[in-house]
Amino acid sequence: MVRLIARRLVISVAVLWLVTLLVFVATLLLPGDPARAILGQQATPERIAALHAQLGLDAPVWERYLNWLGGVVTGDLGTSTASQGPVAELLGGRIAASLVLLVLAAVISTAAGLALGTWTALRRGRRADHAVSGASLVVAALPEFVIGVALVVLLSTTVFPLLPSVTLAPPGEPVWSRPSQLVLPVLTLVLVVAPYITRMMRATMSEVLDSGYVEMARLKGIPERLVITRHALPHAIGPVAQVIAIQLAWLAGGVVVVEFLFRYPGVGQALIDAVNNRDVEVVQAITLLIAAVYIVVNLLADIVGILTNPKLRSEVSR
Amino acid sequence: MSPHSRISRRNFLLGSAALAGTGPLLSACGGRTRAAAAPTGPPRRGGTLRVGVTGGGASDTLDPHIPATNPDIARVRNLYEPLLYRDHDYRIEMLVAESLTSSADGRVWTATLRDGVRFHDGRPVTPADVIATFRRIMDPDDPKSGAASLTMLDEVVADGDRRVQFRLSEPSSVFDDYLGQYSLGIVPADFSLDRPIGTGPFRASTFTAGLQSTFVRNEHYWRPGQPYLDELVLINFTEDDARINALLSSQVDAIDQVPVALVEVLRSDERLRILSSETGTWLPFTMRVDRPPFDDVRVRQALRLVVDREQMINQVLSGQGRVGNDLYAPFDPAYAGDLPQRRQDIARARRLLAEAGHSSLDIELVTAPIQAGAVEAAQVFQQQAKAAGVTVRVRRVDTTTFFGENYLSWDFAQSFWYTRNYLPQVASGSLPDAPYNETHWNDPEFIDLVTRARRTVDEAERHSLLTRAQRIEYERGGNIIWGFVNQVDAFQVYVAGLVPDRTGLPLSGYSFREAWLGTGR
Repeated sequence: MVRLIARRLVISVAVLWLVTLLVFVATLLLPGDPARAILGQQATPERIAALHAQLGLDAPVWERYLNWLGGVVTGDLGTSTASQGPVAELLGGRIAASLVLLVLAAVISTAAGLALGTWTALRRGRRADHAVSGASLVVAALPEFVIGVALVVLLSTTVFPLLPSVTLAPPGEPVWSRPSQLVLPVLTLVLVVAPYITRMMRATMSEVLDSGYVEMARLKGIPERLVITRHALPHAIGPVAQVIAIQLAWLAGGVVVVEFLFRYPGVGQALIDAVNNRDVEVVQAITLLIAAVYIVVNLLADIVGILTNPKLRSEVSR
Repeated sequence: MSPHSRISRRNFLLGSAALAGTGPLLSACGGRTRAAAAPTGPPRRGGTLRVGVTGGGASDTLDPHIPATNPDIARVRNLYEPLLYRDHDYRIEMLVAESLTSSADGRVWTATLRDGVRFHDGRPVTPADVIATFRRIMDPDDPKSGAASLTMLDEVVADGDRRVQFRLSEPSSVFDDYLGQYSLGIVPADFSLDRPIGTGPFRASTFTAGLQSTFVRNEHYWRPGQPYLDELVLINFTEDDARINALLSSQVDAIDQVPVALVEVLRSDERLRILSSETGTWLPFTMRVDRPPFDDVRVRQALRLVVDREQMINQVLSGQGRVGNDLYAPFDPAYAGDLPQRRQDIARARRLLAEAGHSSLDIELVTAPIQAGAVEAAQVFQQQAKAAGVTVRVRRVDTTTFFGENYLSWDFAQSFWYTRNYLPQVASGSLPDAPYNETHWNDPEFIDLVTRARRTVDEAERHSLLTRAQRIEYERGGNIIWGFVNQVDAFQVYVAGLVPDRTGLPLSGYSFREAWLGTGR
């Protein structure tokens, strides 16, 4: 078990390194350089030359990459080209803000998805089941920005003007100090992610409920509640964990669009800004972060899968 | 649950999806009707104005001399003041200076500082501050935005305790115009970005790049009574929908840059007011006069005749603009308004092209969303050109690419300019040594006229030279100037003091010293 995790971690580091290389090359391939991007139409040759010198863009490409890599290994994410400040400082508050969004969306959608999936599996073929299936299918088919805009129209600007449509936390004040501004972004992410979890949970749960050991448990007269929580759920969780992992990993990237739509001051917005400014250091830091979330979440899913599957569990420990 | 309710839930979801497609358009149709009346009477003191401003990002700055994006410009306009600037009608208005006079030969300009102008910390503005400001702008190691248009400025020297002399290396008849730029704000000699001090109506309070900045009333401001607001909040928005939704849900009091397609929709909402300003902002097609086929003047003339200008205004700007006549600087006193208005003439365009040996012309037009309407203008032009047998291939790139290495070398592209008067515009874009000579315009007769006009202090004589220069551009220039774009913004009905502004800067030229809040809020 420990060896498996260790091996996976080593591979993860290699994957992360590859990601940095690819992103670095990709940002170089983007036409235009940071100085021109920052200055826009105000770019005079003199201003461009001055900014080039200031930003250290005159150094060769490989040197800039190695400098950056050396910094990352020692915990220094470098200096943002656009803001002229340390990347860590630029992203610190934004990472926290995005994490709040992610964790809230993940917890709510996982809990809701598991509960709703189990509930509908127990009511297979009934109206409630059909209703939830149909609704989840429709919602799952909608892209996140459509859901987001629909929610804004419904709950903020037109039908029921209840909630703020954009996030306007004053500087220095964390976003969670105004919970009402979090509702719409979180709800959007939940609506995107929960349907998949619900559907997967319903499918696996149905299968498990039809299996021999659940029938056996019922025949033994174990109360239904215990049958579900002790016998059915643990077996259904394994496969569902994989789907949850994929969804949570998607969340890490999906926040970009949602943050853009709700003007949420997280890493997604910073990423768009950084790409526009050709701010390589910030793009690198954020993609590294998102890649890391992907890897960690998938690793966790595999561990859950192994722990809940006795066959795998014994294989690995052997 | 009955089957009916199931269907209705699905319908509901589909309905939401349909709503979503139209986005803010529909969100403006319904809405609350708690409309307050527009404020009247004398301005009221106090309150906080929250403004949504388009653009900006991590490179945002409080630097007075290098504003690049709209939020930068809005901050600069409220924190700092140049010696003089343009008022809402695009007339020169004295600010930190109370007067500016030229010597008879146009080589020395003397500014007299306004009595009682103080910086945010209460210190009076001295000639030493003005000299230091221009030294900072012209710093050879780090020239600021304004330096490019001040190349004729030799030195700035004090003349007594209230006067400053600008000594020029060549005579300039319109040096006041060059000094009247928002990026030439006067700052103290000991200025540092940690203490962004100027003479503007508001003092800096907080600033977070890419997100928002707040300002408080400058109690030392020289205009009695102003500003009326206690606090000003400028909030960055990168996305159109987010900005409009923020206005509709009353999270901000005013926004700049309303997409023209939404103007009528927002106008029908009685909680909101639309501010539409006629400006001298233009969005030309730029033809490089040194590259085939545009090096043939007949091709340039033909392409100018291909454009249906009224249709451009209607389709690209939804009517929010005025027809152009291939001339810029419409508010310049010397504007050649008596040249006949050019109209679409396909037959003549075809004849000119045939004479030039291009009976079927195939050209590439490079476009980018450099300004609202730019890409749409390229598409409409593509359609209009078909009638004259011209195939226009529209190549769309992103804005950073457009202004990247190839900017200034595209054969046929577009550009975007704010309001300027004639000579400053020529210095920026129509001379061989201009920083943005997009058309590679290099006409000896034109250069001669402009060079003479720059030195001519006599106004009537200068006007006649400029009229002749404009006629040359009208006949053989490389710009297709089909129209002038209105600046369209929106604000809540309880906001007062925002008026149409000709400079092309949004929301009253971002001049919030005159803004105040009615009681309806």
